[in-house]
Amino acid sequence: MGTISLKNISKSFGSTQVLKNLNVDIKDGEFLTLVGPSGCGKSTLLRIIAGLEQQTSGDVLIDDKVVNKIRASERDLAMVFQSYALYPHLTVRRNLETPLRLRDYNSFERLPLIGNFSPNKKNKTESINQLVNKTSETLKISELLDRKPGQLSGGQRQRVALGRAMVREPVAFLMDEPLSNLDAALRVHMRSELSELHNSLKTTFVYVTHDQAEALTMSSRMAVMIDGNLLQLDTPQEVYDNPASLSVAQFVGSPKINIFNGSSDSSGTVSILNLNLKRKSSETNLELSIGIRPEHLEITNQSDENTFSATVAYRENLGSDIFFHVNTEDGMNRIIVRGIPQFTNEISNGSKVNIKRASDKALLFNKEGKRVQFNNA
Amino acid sequence: MHNSKAHIWFIAPAIILMIIILIFPLFLAGGISFTDYNLGNKSIGWVGLENYDKMFNRKTYVKMIWATATYVIVVVPISVVLGLCAAMLLNSLRFGADIYKTIFFLPVMATLLAMAIAWEFTLHPTLGIVNSFLANGCGGVREFILGLHWLPWVDSQQSWYHVACANNMDFPYWLKQKNTAIWTICFIGIWQAFGFNMVLYLAGLTGIPRELYHAAEMDGAKSTWEQFKLVTWPMLGPTTLFVVTITTIRTFQVFDTIEILTKGGPSKTTYVMMYAIFEKAIQQNLTSIGAAITVVFIAFILILTFFQRYVIERRVHY
Amino acid sequence: MQTKEYIGESWKHGILIVGAILVLLPFYMMVSMSLKSQQEIQSISGGLIGAQEVQTFPVCVKTGYSEETCTTKPYIYNYWFAFEKAPIPRYLMNGVIVTFSIFIIQVLVALPCAYALAKLRFYGREFVFSMVLFCLLIPVHGIALPLYIMLAQAGLVDTYSALILPWTISVFGIFLMRQFFMTVPDELIDAARMDGMGEYSIVWKVMLPTAIPALLAFAIFSVVAHWNDYFWPRMVITGNRDLFTPPLGIREFRGGIDSDEFGPMMASIVTVTVPLIVAFIIAQKRFIEGITLTGMK
Repeated sequence: MGTISLKNISKSFGSTQVLKNLNVDIKDGEFLTLVGPSGCGKSTLLRIIAGLEQQTSGDVLIDDKVVNKIRASERDLAMVFQSYALYPHLTVRRNLETPLRLRDYNSFERLPLIGNFSPNKKNKTESINQLVNKTSETLKISELLDRKPGQLSGGQRQRVALGRAMVREPVAFLMDEPLSNLDAALRVHMRSELSELHNSLKTTFVYVTHDQAEALTMSSRMAVMIDGNLLQLDTPQEVYDNPASLSVAQFVGSPKINIFNGSSDSSGTVSILNLNLKRKSSETNLELSIGIRPEHLEITNQSDENTFSATVAYRENLGSDIFFHVNTEDGMNRIIVRGIPQFTNEISNGSKVNIKRASDKALLFNKEGKRVQFNNA
Repeated sequence: MHNSKAHIWFIAPAIILMIIILIFPLFLAGGISFTDYNLGNKSIGWVGLENYDKMFNRKTYVKMIWATATYVIVVVPISVVLGLCAAMLLNSLRFGADIYKTIFFLPVMATLLAMAIAWEFTLHPTLGIVNSFLANGCGGVREFILGLHWLPWVDSQQSWYHVACANNMDFPYWLKQKNTAIWTICFIGIWQAFGFNMVLYLAGLTGIPRELYHAAEMDGAKSTWEQFKLVTWPMLGPTTLFVVTITTIRTFQVFDTIEILTKGGPSKTTYVMMYAIFEKAIQQNLTSIGAAITVVFIAFILILTFFQRYVIERRVHY
Repeated sequence: MQTKEYIGESWKHGILIVGAILVLLPFYMMVSMSLKSQQEIQSISGGLIGAQEVQTFPVCVKTGYSEETCTTKPYIYNYWFAFEKAPIPRYLMNGVIVTFSIFIIQVLVALPCAYALAKLRFYGREFVFSMVLFCLLIPVHGIALPLYIMLAQAGLVDTYSALILPWTISVFGIFLMRQFFMTVPDELIDAARMDGMGEYSIVWKVMLPTAIPALLAFAIFSVVAHWNDYFWPRMVITGNRDLFTPPLGIREFRGGIDSDEFGPMMASIVTVTVPLIVAFIIAQKRFIEGITLTGMK
C-alpha cells in the first residue's frame, strides 16, 4: 500500500501564507506530479509530506494513518533531492547501504569493531549486501560501487540518489526536481527511465517539478499549483485539454496558449476580433478571455468569415514544426500559430497571412480567470 | 608570452627576503647548534652533538620537553572540541548567537600579555575573585558542585574542596604551585584559543548543505548523534584538519603567559621551549644551546605540519 | 514552537552563559581594578566600580605631587597617575608605527609577487611557488634566535628596524593574494594590456583595487598579530623605552605588581589594550570575516 492523503493543509512562514488549504488524495502506485512556477509552494508541500517541514494546520495521512506527529525518519518514505545530497565521504556502496544500516542494525551493531560480535549482524549484513547489489544492477551502477560521489558525473549521481531511495523499498518515493541539475538531453532521457522505473516498481511516486513538460510526459495525474493554491488535479491530457482556469491554461503547454479578448452578447454568442465564434457561451453579456492553443490555429490561403488576417513577425523553425509569431491587423494581439513545414515553407517574416481557427477547441474564461463552458445545446 | 621582464622585478624582492629571513636562519641555527658559539664571542669551536646530548639528557631540558608536550596535548584537543561544541551550540540557537560569538572571540583579539596579567589577578590567592568565590562557598552549593560531591564515589569529607575549607581556606595558589601551575597555564591557553576555532567551525558549518541533513533524516538517522556522525563530522573534516594544524603550531609557540606569569617555574613544570630559547640564548647568552632547541623546535613543527598536510589531507578531501 | 523546544533552548543558553562568564572574568577583573582604590582591591570589595570616595593617595604624595593634586576619586587618580608614570601615548604611537610599517611593506612585497605567481607565465614559476609553500611551514617565532643573531651582528638591536625587518616578508600574504588573484579573470588583465597599461600599472591600478576585500582581511590579520606580539619585541628591544610597543609597556607596568598600587597599573594596561578591542567591537563582522577568510584560505 502507498496512499497519501493531504487534508486541509496550510502552511505559513511568519505572516506569508505559502500553502492555502490544500486537499490532495494520492492513490497507491500513482505517479503524481506537483507542478507550478517557482515559489508556488510545491516543494514545501513535498517536504510536509516527507515530514521535514511541519504544516501550520491540516493532516497528512499515509496509508490512512495520520502521521502529523511522526518524524520524517519514521514515515517510511524515501526522497530524491535536487542536489542529490549524497554523502560525499562515503563510497557509492556505503551511500546505498546507509538507509538500510540505520534501520536494520540496532545501535550496538553499528558500533565499530565490537558491533561485529552481535550474533545477528552477519545475517543482516548479508541481506543488506543482496539488496544493494540488486538495486545497483537495476540501475546499472554496479561498476560504480567503489567510487565516491565526487568521481561521478551528474547522471551517475542521479542514479545513485535514486538507488539510495529504492534500496529499502519505501511506501512512496518523493522527488524534488531530481532532473533539474542535468543537461537538456540527459533530462529528456531520464524522463523515460523514470517512467519505466515507476512501471516496474509499481510504488507511489510524488514528483515535484517546475517543468510542465516533465509533468505532462511522466505523470498519471498532475496537480497544478500556483501561489499556494491547488488549481487543478487531473490526468495530463485533461489538464491540457480542459484547464480549469486561465492560469492553468497559460502554465501548461508550450508554446503558450493564445489569449484573445472577447465578449458574449445577450444571446451568449461569443466573438473575437470581430469574428463570430458561432458557438454560445453558457453565460451571457460577459467580458471574456478566449484561449486557443497554437495547434488549433491554421494558416490558410482562403479569406472568409472564419479567418482573420495578420502579419508574420517572427518565424520559429523547430524542424518538426514551425511556429509563427504574428501580429493581428488591429495591433492588439500577438499570437502564435503552428504551421506544418511543407505547407508553410514560403512564408517569411513580414508576410501577410490568413489565419483560421478551429472553433470547437476554443476555451472561455471570465474576467476572474474561471473557466466558462460553451452551451452545448 | 609577454616580452617584458617585469616578473623578475615582481618576484625578486620576495625571493630575496624569503631566503634571508626564512631560509638562511634555518641553516644558521643548524650550524650554530653544533658549536660552542656565544653571541659576542670572537672564537667558535666545533662541539658536534654535545648540545643535543645535553638536551635529551639534562633534567632541565627533559622537563622542557615534558612541559611543552603537556601543554600541546592538553590545549589542542580541548580547545578544538570546545570550539566545535560552541559552534554547534551557536548554530542551533534561535537568538543571541551573535552576542556569544563576540564574547567568545574577545580573547583572540585582546593582547594576550594583558590578559595574562588580568588572569594573574583573577587567580591571585588573596586578591583574586576566584579564590574568594571558592572561600565564600564553603559548606554550600558551590562546594557540592565543584567538590564533585554529586559523584557517587567522592567522599564529601575528603573532597579537595572540603579539605581546603577545613584547612583555613587553603585553596590552590594556582600559578605558584607545582601541581597546578601547568594546568592553569593550559586553562589560559584554552581560554584564549577556543574562540578562534569556534569561528572557523562556524564558517565550516555554514558550508554544509541543508539537504544532506534532510537526506540523513529520510535515511533514518534519528538522533542528533547519528546525524553528527553521518553528516556534520565528515563534512567538517577539512575544517578540523586546518583547525588542528593551526592550533598545534600556535600552542607550540606559547611564550607570553609563561614569561609574565611563571618564568618556567615552579621547578620547571612550565618550562616550555620558546621560553627556554629566550632564557638560555638571550638572558643567559648560551647561544648554541638555544640554537639546538630552535632546531628541535622547528623539526617538531615541520614534521607535524607535513604529517597533517600530506598524510591526513588525503582522507578529508572528497 | 513547542515547550520542549523552549526547554532545549534554555539549556543551551544556560551553558553558553556560564561559558561567557568564564570568558569575561579577566576582562571584568581588569576593568574593575582600574577603577577601584587600593583598599577596595585588597579587600575584594566594591563590586565593579567601587565606592568612588574622594581620598588622598599616599603613593602620589610620596612621588612628589601636591596633596591637592593627589586628592580625588579613585578612577580619576588611577588613569591620571598611569599617564603620569609612563609615556603611554608614545607606546601606542610605536605600536601604530610598527604595525603599519609592517603591513605596508608586506603588501609592497607580496602583491607583485602574488600577481606574478598567479597571472604571469615564466620559467621557474612552479619552483618559486613551492618555495612559498615550504616557507609557509616555518613559524617566524621559531627562528627568532638566528634572526636575533643576524640583527645583533648587524648592530640593529634596539632599533625600529629590528622590530619591523623580520616581518617584511609574509609568505602567507603571498599565498593568500595568489589564491585571490587566481579567481580574477584573465580577460581583465588582457583588457588592461589592450588599453596600453604596463605590468606595473596593472599591479597597482588593476589588481590592487580588485584585491581590496582580500587585502582588508589580510590587514586585520596582520595588524592584530603584530599589535599583540610580545615575543619578538621582547627579544630585540632590551632597554630603550622610546621603542616600547604596547605589550612591552604592559610588561613594564607589571613590574610594580608587588610594591606599587594596582589601580594605576591596571589603568595603564586597560589603556593600551582597549584600542584594538574597541576596533574589534565596532567592526566585529569585518574582523571575524577577515580572520575566517585568512583562516580558510
